[in-house]
Amino acid sequence: MDPAIHISGAGVVSAIGCGQAESLDALRCGRSGIGPVRCLETAETRFPVGEVRLTNAELAARTGADADLCRTSLLGILALQEALEQAGLASLAGVPLVGGTTVGGMDLTERVFPAYSRLHDCGASTDAIAEHFGGSPFATTLSTACSSALNAVIFGANLIRSGRADIVAVGGSECLSDFHLHGFGSLMILDTEPCRPFDATRAGLNLGEGAAFLILESEASLKARGVRSLGVLSGFGNACDAFHQTASSENGEGAYLAMRKALARAGLRSEDIGYVNAHGTGTPNNDASESAALRRVFGKAVPPVSSTKALTGHTTSACGTIEAVFCLLALQEGFIPGQANWREADPACITPYRGGEASCPAPTGRQPLRHVLCNAFGFGGNDSSILLSHA
Amino acid sequence: MRKVYLHSRCELRPGDPEPDWRSIFSVMEARRMGRLLKRAVWTSSEALKAAGIAVPDAVIIGTDFGCIDHSEQFLRGVKGIDGAPLKPTHFMQSTHNTIASLIAIRLGCHGYNATYSHRGRSYESALQDAAMQIALGDIDTALVGWFDEMTPLLAESLTAQGIDPAEHALAVVLSANPEGAVSEFAPLDP
Repeated sequence: MDPAIHISGAGVVSAIGCGQAESLDALRCGRSGIGPVRCLETAETRFPVGEVRLTNAELAARTGADADLCRTSLLGILALQEALEQAGLASLAGVPLVGGTTVGGMDLTERVFPAYSRLHDCGASTDAIAEHFGGSPFATTLSTACSSALNAVIFGANLIRSGRADIVAVGGSECLSDFHLHGFGSLMILDTEPCRPFDATRAGLNLGEGAAFLILESEASLKARGVRSLGVLSGFGNACDAFHQTASSENGEGAYLAMRKALARAGLRSEDIGYVNAHGTGTPNNDASESAALRRVFGKAVPPVSSTKALTGHTTSACGTIEAVFCLLALQEGFIPGQANWREADPACITPYRGGEASCPAPTGRQPLRHVLCNAFGFGGNDSSILLSHA
Repeated sequence: MRKVYLHSRCELRPGDPEPDWRSIFSVMEARRMGRLLKRAVWTSSEALKAAGIAVPDAVIIGTDFGCIDHSEQFLRGVKGIDGAPLKPTHFMQSTHNTIASLIAIRLGCHGYNATYSHRGRSYESALQDAAMQIALGDIDTALVGWFDEMTPLLAESLTAQGIDPAEHALAVVLSANPEGAVSEFAPLDP
């Protein structure tokens, strides 16, 4: 068994708020950030989105970043600033940065096309984040569509396991873009109404945006620095559905394998899991496939499951770590985010956890959460799952 | 930590003759796939054949820009340039991991699958990920690739920034097994 990998800092920004405190309040009260397009310049206004309610200039003003950076970088800088502060780190000196994005600087390129922004590519957006925090000794970028951020967590964990680093900053960042909105529209998987994960009437996803970073730290470094652990990354799994470029298999093979790998690495049984933050996009295909995988992993005893995408929208490359931060809040505060927008059961889907005693205000006297799973699945069957445990 | 070995390497260099795509892809497949995807599937399959491995434990790809030709075509559609249509296939292929995904689908490989996109370090990161997991004992074999294509517009932009507008089509197989290895693979440090 490997020594524990701790999380010593977390930062998050999404449609439901900037920072952990705002996010926690929104999660407890089931407050949605989904609404009509406000900041993004687009002619495509049929679909509601989960937009961060800050312009690029406002994002830059909060961090002192250059407002001309791509929005993916600006969101990432805001999230990483919170994570570094919580971990008691002043910069990225000696800290590798592992980012995750797909859109990168597409928001800048689509304004000048047919020409490219200098900051077009995925790596440029991660490098801009590193530069803002004084530069990192090593930066790289995972680009596995909607599982990018969780795969950044896995790569970062392996840097620590192999002794290459003691502290690593990992996460994902993705802004809304006209390109993405038209792209998901062309695949016919956007809902014109607020999305309804696991509901019988679900008809697609709502695109969202945001960023979240985690500071992963070895047990030895955590003790030496005398910082508090927010939780333990006790398992992770990456598997490929190998079924179709955009659709998920009926039996959820990739998702099943990813969750099984995460449990095996943690040395835990399925009954040890107290909550699953599902990928749960709200598309008919994903939610049925993920439900099949959950039933294969948990049998008849499926633990509370919910998709917080009903509140944030689908933040694509960033969703893995945004939802991991939500899981850390759940572990620390002892509550389970309830499923918003769910009314009608679908025999093809699990019945999500709807809150009840766990909703606003905070519950008392509950059995504390010990272990939670957080899923993120991407196009191409890039399925990942991480297991977070109470510190 | 275990040692890591290089078992095979297959590359299509600029100027090399293109393989006979008709011997590998159906007419339908060839039409959907751009040049990058065809080259990626071909070099991967040749590298695996040379290493004597049917299905690797992991498929890990580095690409600086992904399928940029089809991405540009989709962008033209978004911007309404010359009445270009919005083709879902072009959007799908604009996502960088479409390469690793296609290879995994063709191989039926359910193992670890990842894609790195970080300028000049995309391939280096993919190699490092593979070598690290083999050294840790998480996997025994990995197919690692580096794939990029160029369009006139991107080449012009990169040249203006002083970056070499290079195309890449390279696949290697790494393994924990010293038997039949070409060489020991030198570890990469971040």
